Amino acid sequence: MVDQLPNLGREAEMLSAMGMKSIDELFADIPAEVRMDEPLPLPPPQSEEEIISDARRLLGSNVALGERVSFLGAGLYRNYVPAAVFQLVTRGEFLTAYTPYQPEVSQGMLQAMWEFQTLISELVGLPIANLSLYDGSTAAAEALTCCVRVHNRKATQKDTVYVSELTPPDRLSVMQNYCQGAEIEIKMLRHTDDGRLDLTSVEAASGSCGVYIEQPNPLGILDGGITELKSILGENTALIVAVQPVSLGLVEAPGHYGADIVVGEGQPLGSPITAGGPIYGIFACSKPYLRLMPGRIVGRSIDVDGKVAYCLTLSTREQHIRRHRATSNICTNETLIALMGAMHMSLLGPEGLEALAVRNLAASTLAKEKLREIDGIKIPHADSHHFNEFVIELPGSTDECLSYLDGVGVVGGFNLSAWYPERTNWLLVTCTDQTTVKEIHTLTTELENWVHTLEVSA
Amino acid sequence: MSNLFEHNGAEGQGYSQPKPLLPESSISIPPSLVRKNLPRWPRLSEPEMVRHYTWMSKRNFGIDTGFYPLGSCTMKHNPRVNEVIAQIPGIADIHPHQPEHHLQGLLAIYHEMQYMLEVCSGMDQVTLQPVAGAQGEFTAVRCVQEYFRQRGESQRTKVIVPDSAHGTNPASAAMCGFEIVEIPSKDDGRIDLDALRAVADETIAVMMITNPNTLGLFEEEILEASSIVHNVGGQMYYDGANFNAILGITSPGLMGFDAVHFNLHKTFSQPHGGGGPGSGPIGVKQHLAEFLPGPLAMQRAPEADEMENAIDGKWYSWYQPKHSIGKVQQWHGNAGAVIRCWAYYRRYGRGLKTMSEHAVLNANYLRHAIHKATKEAGVDSMLTDGAEAVVAKHEFTLSLAPAKESHGISAMDVAKGLLDRGYMAPTVYFPLVVPECMMVEPTETESKDTLDTFAKHFAEVLQVDAETLHAAPITTPVRRVDEVYAARNLCLRHPYDDE
Repeated sequence: MVDQLPNLGREAEMLSAMGMKSIDELFADIPAEVRMDEPLPLPPPQSEEEIISDARRLLGSNVALGERVSFLGAGLYRNYVPAAVFQLVTRGEFLTAYTPYQPEVSQGMLQAMWEFQTLISELVGLPIANLSLYDGSTAAAEALTCCVRVHNRKATQKDTVYVSELTPPDRLSVMQNYCQGAEIEIKMLRHTDDGRLDLTSVEAASGSCGVYIEQPNPLGILDGGITELKSILGENTALIVAVQPVSLGLVEAPGHYGADIVVGEGQPLGSPITAGGPIYGIFACSKPYLRLMPGRIVGRSIDVDGKVAYCLTLSTREQHIRRHRATSNICTNETLIALMGAMHMSLLGPEGLEALAVRNLAASTLAKEKLREIDGIKIPHADSHHFNEFVIELPGSTDECLSYLDGVGVVGGFNLSAWYPERTNWLLVTCTDQTTVKEIHTLTTELENWVHTLEVSA
Repeated sequence: MSNLFEHNGAEGQGYSQPKPLLPESSISIPPSLVRKNLPRWPRLSEPEMVRHYTWMSKRNFGIDTGFYPLGSCTMKHNPRVNEVIAQIPGIADIHPHQPEHHLQGLLAIYHEMQYMLEVCSGMDQVTLQPVAGAQGEFTAVRCVQEYFRQRGESQRTKVIVPDSAHGTNPASAAMCGFEIVEIPSKDDGRIDLDALRAVADETIAVMMITNPNTLGLFEEEILEASSIVHNVGGQMYYDGANFNAILGITSPGLMGFDAVHFNLHKTFSQPHGGGGPGSGPIGVKQHLAEFLPGPLAMQRAPEADEMENAIDGKWYSWYQPKHSIGKVQQWHGNAGAVIRCWAYYRRYGRGLKTMSEHAVLNANYLRHAIHKATKEAGVDSMLTDGAEAVVAKHEFTLSLAPAKESHGISAMDVAKGLLDRGYMAPTVYFPLVVPECMMVEPTETESKDTLDTFAKHFAEVLQVDAETLHAAPITTPVRRVDEVYAARNLCLRHPYDDE
């Protein structure tokens, strides 16, 4: 700790300047009844070398996906993040700043976030984006409460929103926590057996405050029918679309087929998966939502000399001004991770984004082709289009299959029984730009071997 | 002066990608979904991109740049080894859905962090899931809400917050569906027990309060406040924004609190990153533990087949509290931030008390130094303490109301004058109960020399005439930014030529 405390050894000098003799005098206002009697039951201080050595030992005992053949995604995607992103984002001027309350000395981050807003706005096809929420789930949850604020007055189904029944339970749970305080009822939208949205169930949602769907959906399916949704719902029901941002290099921007709010996990652009955090949530919307949306926004302005300058704007929506009437309680957000996203996007450029999307889709297409050739394995949504992940149906339990694969160094994918308990033999297989032909071959071979062990035991 | 979208260099891409595994003719998406126009992103080569972001970084102020006494934000130095640790593949490249035997190291660190925060706060169980302080507040209030629902006490519809509270407190409680009851502070900024007694009844669910309070003063009557709230059946919530002042000295548990959130990015040095990420774990007493969001890390003796992967003879697993409110973030919280904060706490271990002592020493010394320097410069009549107190804790407030009255110099003017002298300004106009408030928090990582020099410069600023100060800053990349113009002429994205 010596290396962190520049005034160790100067205490007496500083106290004496204040006319004090001991540190205890600084704490004279803390009553004896609330004093801690014993030292904290914690280990002794460590040096930097000891800490990094312990960190390497402990974190080294985790299985990093890069050490394995991995097809695990289900919401977090391991795309390559260019080296320049890490080099630049750890510049102390970005890393060690806080919220730009003094814009004159915060122009760098303010401009970078205004550029981020533009990059996201262009990506999703909507005019407004904030500078990040915590993750995709909180962005989705905030979108639901936001659409009720905007549409409830005219809604025929008051305080009601509809959400795809495929929404992963952990994400749905976040939505429920955010919605319950405003007494918003979350109803479900059905899907057909081929994994696409049941449009008759969408008709029932007309007149509610909003509808939330994901694209690609949690089964990895790109649903061509969703371009019809806005015309079914009408002007007074918000269409909220959650995106996997990389897919938008090939897939139409939701704002161009009528989405009012677009949210999503920004992570596949710019950020490692990091056990699920810190990552960043995307939130973009059209103009009617602007003054009731959550999160910080940067505006371009001028300084007293008329020079272009950036600052936070529309702050009267926020908690530090509006207090309990704020549109959200969010204060600290995920700016630095959003900055990583902006850096990745600016290196990609439009054609680079398209190429990245093509690589993701090509890898999953190849994997799907190879896996469907295995006797005993079915592709439940074979007639549907997928982006970078798809479901396979196994001839035995997914649990046992994943254990077998783990034993041979393969992380086979995500066990969908965690989301849909009746699907005990569904496996969600994910590819990214990092997936190789060799890895697909390994997965195919090992799945064949596993199917064979079932036949032998039968 | 250019933005990203005005760069017009290489036609190519900032980095080249390998070829796809299949030719483009072999892949397809539904025709109705084919994107017609790609986003109008810039096309930069890597050198152009690197220079653009480096240029912007030079127009930004961080702790690395200079003294950052932003009250309430605990802008302490961020040790660089923490960044190195966060890049280890065993954290950067792991997935929360991996099986437990893949994540023993992560679980061990989570378990250690839960324990460390429990003993520092006097709480029985900690969850690391909330990803920011405000989310911690929301989560804890949600847990209390479920607790009361389960007890059939649905008449508890109100949450008390002092008028000096952070805006997130009332905002978080309102998001849970509670009505907010704001109580005034006394003239010295401390809690008014009579005002508390006047509103305390069986409709109260929670009182939210921070201690030391937002004026940097310890609430000496905190036990009495706790007992007033507990006597009507309410719960006490501790806002951990100011936790840096009290580690190893006192704890929320000792003060009678039932729930607490921690701002790991403040107390334990996760870099603030220009606005985030943070991490906002919460701790609760036993009666609230079953409502916490999971998963929590737990430790046990390994089974025979687990010996090989066990860490120091222990096995770790996740578990879900019995009546969990569910999730507030989809994954396991900001794990990367938790790891950095683990590395930070390990530097101090049982010496965390010394960290808090130095935070308080520095704050009191700076308060003293500013008063001394302004007196020597003959400008001490221009400011007063925000509240009278013999000692402050980790931060203190000043009121520039006298300067405003005598010279027309506002707290904001002084703030801008400090920017010109190479400092980040203290927090201004918060808490609202202090007129022309400046809230100063030096943290323990600033040297005496820095504090002395800052005090001298502070006094210098007060000697500048009002007209000059109204024009400050003049040395910064831009001068005073017109926030009204920004709000009236909304320009929230790059205006493309055809717009």
